[in-house]
Amino acid sequence: MTRATRWALGAWLALLLACIAVIARTPFTTDLSAFLPRSPSPVQQALVEQLRDGVVSRLILIGIEGDAPARLAGISRNVGAALRDSGRFASVNNGAPSGFEGDRELIWRYRYLLSPAVSTERFSAEALHESLRELLAQLASPTGALLQRLAAADPSGELLLLVDQFTPQARPRIDEGVWFSKDGGRALLLAQTRAPASDIDAQKAALDRVRESFAQAASGTDARLIVTGPGVFSVVSRERIREDAWRLSLIGSVLIAAMLIALYRSVRVLGLGFLPVASGALAGIAAVSLAFGSVHGITVAFGVTLIGEAVDYAIYLFTQNAPGSAPETTFERIWPTLRLGMLTSVCGFSAMLFSEFTGLAQLGLFSVAGLVVAAAVTRWVLPALLPRGFAVSAVPAVAPRVLAAVHAAPRLRVALLVVLAGAAVFLIARPQPLWSASLTSLNPVSAAEQALDRQLRDDLGAPDVSYLVVIAEADQQAALQAAEKAGATLRDAMARGWLQGFESPAAYLPSEAMQRARQAALPAPDTLRRNLQAAQKGLPFRAGAFEPFVRDVSAAAALPLLDRARLQGTSLGLRVDSLLVQRASGWNAMLPLRGVSDVKALAAALPAGALLDLRQEFDRLYGGYLREAMINSLLGAAAIGALLFASLRSPRRVFDVAAPLAAAALATCGLLALAGVELSIFHLVGLVLVVAVGSNYSLFFDRQGPSGADRGRTVVSLLFAAVTTVIGFGLLAFSKIPVLSAIGSTVGLGAAMALVFSAIMSRQESRAA
Amino acid sequence: MVALVFALPAHADPLDELMQRLAQVKSAQGKYLERKHLAMLDAPLDSSGTLLYVAPGRLEKHMLSPRRESLILDGDTLVIESKGQRRTFALQEHPVIWAFAESIRSTLKGDLATLQRFYEVRLEGDAAAWRLRLRPKDSRMRQAASEISLGGSGAWVDRIEVQEAGGDRSVTQITRGAS
Repeated sequence: MTRATRWALGAWLALLLACIAVIARTPFTTDLSAFLPRSPSPVQQALVEQLRDGVVSRLILIGIEGDAPARLAGISRNVGAALRDSGRFASVNNGAPSGFEGDRELIWRYRYLLSPAVSTERFSAEALHESLRELLAQLASPTGALLQRLAAADPSGELLLLVDQFTPQARPRIDEGVWFSKDGGRALLLAQTRAPASDIDAQKAALDRVRESFAQAASGTDARLIVTGPGVFSVVSRERIREDAWRLSLIGSVLIAAMLIALYRSVRVLGLGFLPVASGALAGIAAVSLAFGSVHGITVAFGVTLIGEAVDYAIYLFTQNAPGSAPETTFERIWPTLRLGMLTSVCGFSAMLFSEFTGLAQLGLFSVAGLVVAAAVTRWVLPALLPRGFAVSAVPAVAPRVLAAVHAAPRLRVALLVVLAGAAVFLIARPQPLWSASLTSLNPVSAAEQALDRQLRDDLGAPDVSYLVVIAEADQQAALQAAEKAGATLRDAMARGWLQGFESPAAYLPSEAMQRARQAALPAPDTLRRNLQAAQKGLPFRAGAFEPFVRDVSAAAALPLLDRARLQGTSLGLRVDSLLVQRASGWNAMLPLRGVSDVKALAAALPAGALLDLRQEFDRLYGGYLREAMINSLLGAAAIGALLFASLRSPRRVFDVAAPLAAAALATCGLLALAGVELSIFHLVGLVLVVAVGSNYSLFFDRQGPSGADRGRTVVSLLFAAVTTVIGFGLLAFSKIPVLSAIGSTVGLGAAMALVFSAIMSRQESRAA
Repeated sequence: MVALVFALPAHADPLDELMQRLAQVKSAQGKYLERKHLAMLDAPLDSSGTLLYVAPGRLEKHMLSPRRESLILDGDTLVIESKGQRRTFALQEHPVIWAFAESIRSTLKGDLATLQRFYEVRLEGDAAAWRLRLRPKDSRMRQAASEISLGGSGAWVDRIEVQEAGGDRSVTQITRGAS
């Protein structure tokens, strides 16, 4: 071992230790922050916060079906009770009297501060006369008995008004005392988790609780459980991505390892082959951690596949090593090409570094750092560890056939040209756009599940995930006041039929200013007695019957204002907690909307930017990312062109290297479009990877060695490298997760075509002849 | 009806006899006039409407004056329709309403077991003029009503009287006939 190799090994080990030290202190995130732009606008910030933490994204919609209604109702009641007791939910509604029953005393005491009807006018002689006439009619009615005891203290009916206001506005049909779907076949529950939607572990715990309590309540019946909602979808998606990624990468690794061990006939060499990838992955994670402060799960998952190119480096070295020659000698021949291939990939991936899309920027940095380290490990560490005189014995047997195929390949040039022209014409002429403008194309939730979610949402009258009024203010009181103002606008809009309903934190916790205004509107005892006396004229109420009312009104005028501390532990408090939240920049009040029918009119009536159309904003954000990623990719392609020109110094050779890559990208897009796939940002990432991996193929074809034996080894190494890539990525193409299948199909197809096209377009044979 | 009464064994308990008689009725319809005497009012408060009973578990009370309001009891749910709104209650979750509802429904049904679940039941008078006095067993129910009494003759209930704890009282008279 030479001094230089010892230094190289030492430096490598030191780097690995440093990387591990950095990674040990790295926070890994799995929330939606990866989708947040690096310098978000307030609307984008609110958007991502809503998705991560919003009240609507915490809803779990539950349906119970498949048995007799009476049984379903019983199960619904038991599940509802179990979920309410679990402490994981801010609210659980199934039509049975909700948690507000328990708050009755608090609502009763604070009724004159909570009721939106309270005004000076409400307690005038005329208005009281109307209230008393109404009360008389109610007392006479069959339900009068229920009111009798409250009537003397609450003749204007504030309690009933509040109970009505607090119970969900849209009520599904009720059978057997609980909510049912319109057709009566499905009992319905609507639960809101305490944990934010982005806390997938907590969402999973909540979902497990739903499943367990259903299993308990439904044992011995035929009932089936349906659960949907944003949190449920993130849990299911995570499980599916984990399962799929785990299963497919396991199969891929086993296949690739089996192939390589058959070639190398040495476990040690097989292990050595993974050193560059492993070192690169560690370096990539550490680099992202240092630059961004945290690493997103997506970055790690896809980053490791992106530096799949690094597996190829070891294959090139091991396969091209001639029998009996030292690795150093092999490197003298192949290193310039390998280095140029690596730099080409770095150019391609560094375009992503400048993305506003945090996830993509992390992915870019991960790949650049990973590739540089993997190439360096291949160049300076592997030769020292490779067994002396190692050579892949299969090469001489395979080489002649591969060379013959390569020799024959250029005959297909005309056919290739026709195919490419066809692909270009097809892509240009097809009416639908090649790139999907909506992020929903990446949704791992199946269309059937989304339809079920819509159906349950419709049955329940649950707020649409789409529309929300978000108010950001410096402090809590300002946010509540602004929510009260927006609430007035929304009530107007409801009267005009622009929406069906909304919820507001100010309904449960009016601003202090509003509470004071209501207190100020309460008349003094003597005034109230006088007004009552006048109001009772012509009505059979006994004189002094409403003394409890006078007493309660004057008590309410002196009540300490309702605040969050007093709401603590009540279901009103839980509602406020979910609708009024503290952010880094201040306080946000959120008013989820239901049944929005005229978005434009609503947006115009509300303060600018207050109405958030989540789906549209997200699509807009994604559209921006996609456009930017395309521009960056073009810049990356230009950088690759400049790099190739600087090192090859011949336009003709630059063309020879770049043309197969461009052709592979074009043909891949054409094939995917032909298969009816709408291309997404991850297909674009896949195309960058095709260029990165494929550039090695075309560069090696461009620089085939002088001797026939070397040429054979080079071409065979390319074939092996391409086969591992196609196995690894091709398997991902079979995933049901759109993101995985996008990358897998693009790279699997693209890499294979890049190799074949490089052979077809290579001039070496004709030049040699 | 008279034949039915005589068909019963002579030594039977009068309460059981009454219940069996009532249980024969599969449906009944009548008009009611309800008069409430409330402490907060100088004068009694009158309301009227129709009643409909269909065995075994459906009871409808439709108030027509002073305004329209309906109470429909079916199985274990109670639906209240007033001012265009419809509210549904599960009886199990409202013990007081449930007890009220069963005082009338279980009597019409001749279901002594359910009646005795909620009330101490006492029978006065004879088959031609009987009076069933119900005293709530549940303390919460006793706060709402100290006694409910139903009077009638044969298998027909013609009077319901509710004595409330606060001194309020209501008397409902029922006459045969479709509305």
